Amino acid sequence: MPFLEIEHLHKQFGTLNAVADFNLQMHKGEFVSLLGSSGCGKTTALRMIAGFEAPTGGIIRLNGRDVSRVPANRRHIGMVFQSYALFPNMNVADNIGFGLKIKGQPAAAIQAKVHELLALIQLPDKGRSYPYQLSGGQQQRVALARALAIEPQVLLLDEPLSALDAKTRVELRQEIRDIQKKLNMTTIYVTHDQEEAMSLSDRVVVMNKGVIEQIGTPFAIYNYPKTAFTASFVGQLNVLPVTVTDGAAGECRFYDQPLKLKEAFAAANQSTATIALRPEELRLGQQDGHNHLTGIVENNTFLGAIIRLRLRVEQTTLLADLFNERQMVIPRDGETITINFPPHACWILDNQLN
Amino acid sequence: MATESIPTVYTPQFPSWRHRLARLTPWLGVVPFFLFALAFLLGPASYLLVGSLRDLQGNFTLDNYRNLNQPLVKGAYILSIQISAITALGGGLFGFLLAYAVTIGGLPRFVRSGLLTFSGVASNFAGVPLAFAFIATLGRIGLLTTWLKLIGLDIYDRGFTLYSFAGLSLTYMYFQFPLMVLIITPALEGLKREWREAAENLGASSWQYWWYVALPVLLPSILGTMILLFANAFGAHATAFALTGGTYNLVTILIGAQMRGDVLRDPGLGYALAMGMVLIMTVSITGYTLLQRRAERWLKR
Repeated sequence: MPFLEIEHLHKQFGTLNAVADFNLQMHKGEFVSLLGSSGCGKTTALRMIAGFEAPTGGIIRLNGRDVSRVPANRRHIGMVFQSYALFPNMNVADNIGFGLKIKGQPAAAIQAKVHELLALIQLPDKGRSYPYQLSGGQQQRVALARALAIEPQVLLLDEPLSALDAKTRVELRQEIRDIQKKLNMTTIYVTHDQEEAMSLSDRVVVMNKGVIEQIGTPFAIYNYPKTAFTASFVGQLNVLPVTVTDGAAGECRFYDQPLKLKEAFAAANQSTATIALRPEELRLGQQDGHNHLTGIVENNTFLGAIIRLRLRVEQTTLLADLFNERQMVIPRDGETITINFPPHACWILDNQLN
Repeated sequence: MATESIPTVYTPQFPSWRHRLARLTPWLGVVPFFLFALAFLLGPASYLLVGSLRDLQGNFTLDNYRNLNQPLVKGAYILSIQISAITALGGGLFGFLLAYAVTIGGLPRFVRSGLLTFSGVASNFAGVPLAFAFIATLGRIGLLTTWLKLIGLDIYDRGFTLYSFAGLSLTYMYFQFPLMVLIITPALEGLKREWREAAENLGASSWQYWWYVALPVLLPSILGTMILLFANAFGAHATAFALTGGTYNLVTILIGAQMRGDVLRDPGLGYALAMGMVLIMTVSITGYTLLQRRAERWLKR
């Protein structure tokens, strides 16, 4: 039985459908990220799970019990906020022990738990410090410890790393994942950063305009996007308008250049379609059995491990991410080159982009 | 082939006196403030200090300070402190509740704007106009008094008089609570929604959130503002004088009596009384500043 079940969750603000028909099932100890751009409804969904927003409709079931109408302070769900939300009048130890104090736990038990959590977040000496004396990363660690102190059934994290610098973000996200695994904590993580979602999660929920576009593992979301939005939102994507020449054989034409897909698709000959292609699937030169496109290099960007080419093919600009090699000759701007990619690398997008 | 030499020593581009002058330029903006403070704060305070240490013949004496121990003077200080403390507490509490209602209480936006505009005006509406406004409203034949009498409630028959401690306190409240509203509203708005949610999330009830988080965070601001209200009432003179005709023994009225000199003329004692007020004001403002600094440290982060 799933540990957390969300069925047909719906939230309306006036005429705006902030979240519509949100369905998700999570197992104990699973880490799921809600991924989407600003205003897609991911935070609203999280706030309904936490109990800060009353759903317009739907059910939230936690460990078999319907908690949809249970007040936030009785749900036993921990939450970490983007702005840390540490109580400024309390030191770190008091912040961490706050939930236990509210529960009426004895002082000795609170102290022991606080020590344990300070060690877990690697701030054993900061118990007496006040929030304003800590860096952003340290404050967020304390916020995490405070949420974990009450041993919640579910941990919610609302863009917890957004306010931090890039280096701290990468360090802390790994720490969050390590702690979550260690405690086997069922966790929902809201983010607009696809790299964060991909690197942390067991599964990712991609949201757009209040609805779920796709739920899947990071691998499936990236490599097998089910909707045009998911395909374009997660990672870089080349979108090629094509004319179908033989759908049954998986053949089409990009301007005058023939292309072949691995799988057949149902489309009438001479109809138009859109195919998608990840930039990292493209290679320089010719290769037997591959598709080929010829275009002009608009510019190249050196990104260290990758060299990103912007390539003009007819009226379409394509991106090609080439792995850096020391002996590589980088195409010059304005040079005409041929690139290739295997038939299995591209797929037909649904009609949303047409 | 010509080669460029790399300068190894930094040479200032202009003479040092110009550099120094340039650094002083920003200070020019605050010169009027310092001149003002010198002319109307430090100058008079020094004059008071010197005056309080002289007798009528201009000789050095400490008698003026010894005379502060007279029952009349002690009574004036006690009465001033009482009225200041009561109106600071009353105005502070009432102002806090009003500010709470228009910020966290969720009243419509226009109520907040209206209250803040009124507070801005009322907090500066003191002195003779305020006294006459209250006489016209709550005096023996004031508008409200007459209306109440028409519905069978004669407040003067029931012991109320505007020219008493209660009446004076009520009048002071008119400028006290708006000042509290003006100062405490930003502090209430500084309470983050996430603090309440984090507390709820950790199991706290609304009462527990206020007791453990919101009130401790607001306390420096509340206490600081009440100290300011205390100082505000302590220094008030014209309102009390216009309302009671100088018969009420407040420190400010007593100072006026010593300086004008109808019966009690003793400028030396007046200066010593004023120095006592300066001391109380200094303590109050220092307390306010320290508490406000503590509050800002919490609310800014």
